[in-house]
Amino acid sequence: MMSNVTLEVNSVRKTIRKREIIKDINFTVRKGEVFGFLGPNGAGKTTTIRMLVGLIKPTAGSIRICGYDVKKDYKKAMQHLGCIVENPELYPFLSGWNNLLHFARMLPNVGEERMMEVVKLVGLEQRIHDTVKTYSLGMRQRLGIAQAMLNRPKLLILDEPTNGLDPAGIREMRQFIRMLAEEEGMSVLVSSHLLSEIQLLCDRVAIITKGEIVKVGTVSDLLSVQERMSWRVEPIELGKEVLRSLTEVMETEDGYVLTSFDEEETPKWNKALVKHGVKILEMNRRLPTLEDLFLELTDGGGAGIE
Amino acid sequence: MSNLIQNEMMKLLAKKRLLIIGVIVAVLIILFTYAQYKQAEEQREKLGTDDWRTAVQQQIIDIQNRLSSSRMLDEWREQLQVTVKQQQYYLDHNINPSEPGAATFTRMFIENASSLFIPLLVMIVASDLVSSESSQGTIKLLLTRPVLRWKILMSKYITLLLSISIIVAMTGVLAYALSGVVFGYHGWNAPIITGFTVEAGNVDTSGVRLISQWQLLLMDFGLVWYIAVVVGTLAFMLSVLIRSTPAGMGIMLAALISGAILNNMVSSWESAKYFFMVNLQLTNYLSGVAPPIEGMTLLSSVLILFVWWLAALIVSFIVFIRKDVY
Amino acid sequence: MSRWRVRIVTVFSALLGLLWIGCLSWAIVDYYHGEASGVEDLSAQPIEKRPDEFIVVALGDSLTRGTGDETGKGYVGTVTEELEKKFDHPITVQNLGIKGLVSAQLAEQVQEREVKRQLQRADAILVTIGGNDLFQKGETLLNLDSTKVSKLQKNYLVHLDAILSTIRQNNSSAQLFMLGLYNPFIELDENGELNAIVRQWNNETAEVLAKYEDMVFVPTFDLFQLSVNEYLYSDKFHPNSAGYRLMAERIAPLIEWEAKDDE
Ligand SMILES: Nc1ncnc2c1ncn2[C@@H]1O[C@H](COP(=O)(O)OP(=O)(O)OP(=O)(O)O)[C@@H](O)[C@H]1O
Ligand SMILES: [Mg+2]
Repeated sequence: MMSNVTLEVNSVRKTIRKREIIKDINFTVRKGEVFGFLGPNGAGKTTTIRMLVGLIKPTAGSIRICGYDVKKDYKKAMQHLGCIVENPELYPFLSGWNNLLHFARMLPNVGEERMMEVVKLVGLEQRIHDTVKTYSLGMRQRLGIAQAMLNRPKLLILDEPTNGLDPAGIREMRQFIRMLAEEEGMSVLVSSHLLSEIQLLCDRVAIITKGEIVKVGTVSDLLSVQERMSWRVEPIELGKEVLRSLTEVMETEDGYVLTSFDEEETPKWNKALVKHGVKILEMNRRLPTLEDLFLELTDGGGAGIE
Repeated sequence: MSNLIQNEMMKLLAKKRLLIIGVIVAVLIILFTYAQYKQAEEQREKLGTDDWRTAVQQQIIDIQNRLSSSRMLDEWREQLQVTVKQQQYYLDHNINPSEPGAATFTRMFIENASSLFIPLLVMIVASDLVSSESSQGTIKLLLTRPVLRWKILMSKYITLLLSISIIVAMTGVLAYALSGVVFGYHGWNAPIITGFTVEAGNVDTSGVRLISQWQLLLMDFGLVWYIAVVVGTLAFMLSVLIRSTPAGMGIMLAALISGAILNNMVSSWESAKYFFMVNLQLTNYLSGVAPPIEGMTLLSSVLILFVWWLAALIVSFIVFIRKDVY
Repeated sequence: MSRWRVRIVTVFSALLGLLWIGCLSWAIVDYYHGEASGVEDLSAQPIEKRPDEFIVVALGDSLTRGTGDETGKGYVGTVTEELEKKFDHPITVQNLGIKGLVSAQLAEQVQEREVKRQLQRADAILVTIGGNDLFQKGETLLNLDSTKVSKLQKNYLVHLDAILSTIRQNNSSAQLFMLGLYNPFIELDENGELNAIVRQWNNETAEVLAKYEDMVFVPTFDLFQLSVNEYLYSDKFHPNSAGYRLMAERIAPLIEWEAKDDE
């Protein structure tokens, strides 16, 4: 069972200048899964990730990467890790290749062959000998991933990897990450403040807010709870009445009627509307907003977005 | 470790720092060469002869005239008297204190550059070795490798030592090569007197001896290198402590300049001799110039600098190993 | 290729580093344990003198230095200018004047090897000395005491004799011009006591000079006698530009260039 866990976080806390920024965090990441780290701005995602990669030291608790304690077995732990924290900041005055060379020299047994491999993997063959100054953001992002992959890590940690990418870039990145997990068997930890991204990309997710993990679970479990159905019907009053007789109903300002989503029930409601002569113009599955999710998870309590 | 040092050297060379320093040095040397040339020419015109003895005699007379004016700080007076006595000694023994030639120019340049100019050049490298990684954010990639932090810092420190060695050599070579165009490439074997000791404004000549200029030149280089290492290490420490390169440079610059000022006025403040910046004129001990504070010796200065060096190094390593990187 | 450059620079700088460490240790060890071998005298060659060169060496006190002259030339500078006009040829001047010099110090100065060497090649030698011996920065004036003055004078004359004989030993042919003293305090000197002392001082000086060949005593007393304030600097002791000019105009016509005349 142990060998199946690539990252183990045990009651980690961090206090900076008497402010408790991370309060007792626990989670594990398993082999071959994409793990999402979801939270609003300032939730503590980056801070947690910095502790995972050894940049800052936890005030309390332990972190293990592939069974090696980051504090005690720093070198071994780091050998199994690849990461990009926040932006992929590389040396702008060196060429892409020399950047890779620089990091390869810091790793055991990484030679030119492997460097070539990762360059191909991220598709930078054309521009690899240009200086990084001349790279676009997307290319820097790819070079960042390339350097993180140099040591064939078992665990890849990416902090907001789609930050600043255009939709095509985001899709490409998503496919790439899924490929790493599915084909190479890597564990990937991805942080994001976008629910949609996590939903499309991850297998499991931890939701963090104000330095606390409020929930860990599979994406389908967590996100389907709050999934809704939105209807555009005509006449609207009649449609609402019909639906209300079957389930709970809300109305939005822009003229949609919201109900819960349930694979069993929804077709029945549809049939009932048709039967009453209500025209269905549109019907959509609606993802909950992050706000909705937090409200739900914290029982509508104080934990909203700051 | 050799890999890490090569990384650091690669970055240093890619940033063209040494090249920039080389250009600065070259420009300054050309300026000084020209100034020196002008001065020599003017002197020749004034004295009507090339004869160095006449020139030295005139220098002595000029200083004696300055000494005879009563409004003068005692320290200044003492300093001038020492100079007169040394010049007289050279004259009496028929040895030219500044044999014309590139070798003499190089020695003078390096002696004058030792307490401010070369430390400044070294700061250009030292100040951003660590802080540039912090401000660029690349430190996050550097410190998430399976390499212990002290090794990374050590590789940077060794790189600093290597660049200091290059900068010192570069200054010497450029000074010789450029000034030689004007003054001629000779003077290595010119006799030089060392071993003057100065005590209470008196020059003791009992320990003097004659060495060749190249010997003194090499010793000067050794001392200048040491000064550069100490100042470089202090700048390096600031680079670890402070994220912003300009702030670190500013602090160091202030310290060096205050040292230059203090040198002229601390003679009555004895504990000032524990400041590193008052001890930077090591080459003066060899040429027999009185130290700024009574009782300072070559050994005491070297030891005080050593303590500063060690402290700076220890602080750098402890802070770097322990600090949280945001 | 760039990798090789990095490697070469690294190795090279490491070697340099070792060299500097070596030099550093050498410097420290040598400073404390170097054998004091002393410095042997390298023999001085006489300064070669071009046959067409006319050299003036000026010795003495603040008057030689030119203190008080706003133009900075002093009488030496003006004499030089006059001579250049007269000979129509550039002239080399060595001004060895030191402010506040007294005859005893000058006697020492002319013993210095380099000064002797300068004297050896001189064509003309200008001297001002004695003013500081007599006036002692004005102290003599405040308490005039004839026995003290005669003692000062006796010492002065001994030194003067020594100075002149040293000069002659080193240079048997140069013309020497020595300026006499004037009385800067003539206005304060109501009963003429100090005047008498200065006159006597000058007479004795002239007597000493007379013992040597080609030494000329050039009086200045009369120059300042009638309108002393017009020719004194604001310190009321040194001449001003005009005063120096008077002195120079008196000496310049006396100096001859024999070699040139021979042509
Ligand atoms: N060096 C620091 N000193 C003090 N407080 C800090 C420091 N770094 C982070 N914080 C605080 O810790 C909290 C978490 O910050 P963190 O950067 O981890 O958030 P995040 O979840 O990554 O947010 P984002 O989505 O904006 O990247 C914030 O409230 C921040 O103000
Ligand atoms: Mg963040």
